[in-house]
Amino acid sequence: MIRIAADLILRAFVVLTGVALATFALLWHAPGDPALSIAEARYGTVVSKEVLDFIRAEAGFDTGFWTAFWAWLSPLLAGDFGQSSVTGRAVWPDLMTAMSYTLPLALVSLAIGLAISVPLALIATRRPGSWMDRGAVALASVGVAIPAFWLGLLLILLFAVQLGWLPAMGADTRAHAVLPALTLALGVAASLTRIIRSGILEARTQVFLPAFRRRGIPPRNIARDHVAPHAAIPVITVLGLELAFLLEGLVVVEVIFARPGLGSFLVNAIYARDFPKVQAVVLLAAVIFVIVNLAIDLIYRSLDPRMDGRNA
Amino acid sequence: MTIIAQGLSAKRSGRTILHPTTVDIKPGERVGLVGASGSGKSTLGHALIDALRAGGTRVAHVPQSPDEALDPLRSMAFHWREAEQALGLAGDDARRLQLFDALQIAGGDLGKRPWGWSRGMQQRFVIAMALIGTPDLLVMDEPTSALDPVVAAGTMDLLDLYLTDRETALLLITHDLGLAAKRVSRLMVMDTGRIVEDAPTARFLSAPQTQAAQALCAHRNWLELPC
Repeated sequence: MIRIAADLILRAFVVLTGVALATFALLWHAPGDPALSIAEARYGTVVSKEVLDFIRAEAGFDTGFWTAFWAWLSPLLAGDFGQSSVTGRAVWPDLMTAMSYTLPLALVSLAIGLAISVPLALIATRRPGSWMDRGAVALASVGVAIPAFWLGLLLILLFAVQLGWLPAMGADTRAHAVLPALTLALGVAASLTRIIRSGILEARTQVFLPAFRRRGIPPRNIARDHVAPHAAIPVITVLGLELAFLLEGLVVVEVIFARPGLGSFLVNAIYARDFPKVQAVVLLAAVIFVIVNLAIDLIYRSLDPRMDGRNA
Repeated sequence: MTIIAQGLSAKRSGRTILHPTTVDIKPGERVGLVGASGSGKSTLGHALIDALRAGGTRVAHVPQSPDEALDPLRSMAFHWREAEQALGLAGDDARRLQLFDALQIAGGDLGKRPWGWSRGMQQRFVIAMALIGTPDLLVMDEPTSALDPVVAAGTMDLLDLYLTDRETALLLITHDLGLAAKRVSRLMVMDTGRIVEDAPTARFLSAPQTQAAQALCAHRNWLELPC
């Protein structure tokens, strides 16, 4: 167990270091003068060369890549996310405020996605190849193919503009969260439906199932105790990847629906070349991703102990 | 009471793979069902199990390999409890120990999943599980082909011993005439979906009537095998 934990922590360390370095390098080498972007975001006007030099010195742009990277990384190792290059405010509290909008949206979307996909997959697999099954697969394929930015606009057009049932922009009330959550949830539901469906169909081909039927075990119990656990293995595996899509979708959806949150926070920071903010978001996303995958890894191992040869 | 199943038949993709067949087996009788691969032995076995179960006969089944009988994600204890519940029995540790002793698997850890046991022990566990409810008929479909010959012989010896003086009849489905000849008193031969010969083992071996039976008997080296 200690060996597994050490292995996982080492993997997490490598991933996080790689993510930090890659993000910093991408921002550093992005076309255009970062000092100019920061100045525009900060003062909203054209500034003199002296001001740009000041910003360069302040942000460490004049020191070279590795020095600047280390200047950012070393306080971070002590838990200090630094200050925004634009506003001078500490990054961490603003980041937490953004999270307080994003996290509930992500969880609700995932929950709605599961609430749609599990019953749909169960209905579809009741009779594989039937029109219900084909319909569910077609629906899921369309759902996977539709990008979030387009689906979001369609939903706004229908429910906010045409019908006027729901607000489209902002995050003032719970009603404001409905359309963004649906936009994300439908994408999640579509891909999960396909995975759960194929997981169930695959699990039903397990060689031992006919013997269980001949043993007189009720079909309900076979489905619950033997098909479901085998079907869950690929689903759990893919849930981690699903989270990556969800994070990606969140950025787009928050921008479309003009919601405050991690996505808007990130996009605004990128425009302003606000290194500390961008780095903070990317690192946070990476940490979430690593933790979730770690949890999935552990669930996976408890579900299928053959993974690490542990029995009983 | 003699177990009788009439009119057993099966089709696959519009092709008849089992022509209407009647099987009768006396209580405690040991019958072998032999034939080449694809002759319809397993199909007859499955049809027989389904028909007998529908008619209320207590029939248990042991498949070819433990992989076909056990869920790798579930513990042995889970399988045992589930089999008891399927028969409507309450958990009976004395009965379990009796069967485990008879099949020499009392040392096995029930908390483990199947792959924590050796294959020979897994197969004996499956046989023990089949015997929980004292069935009228035990159908074994190539029960030892997944085991090495020594383990296979040992398993069949233990089962032989357990079944002695009991009412449970045995239908041994196998392509291995050597195994069948040693373990059963009556042999049925299948060929292209029909039982073509049905005779006491001794007579069958000394004077096979049909071409299919003669072909099986022609390869006499099977008698040298340990099981």
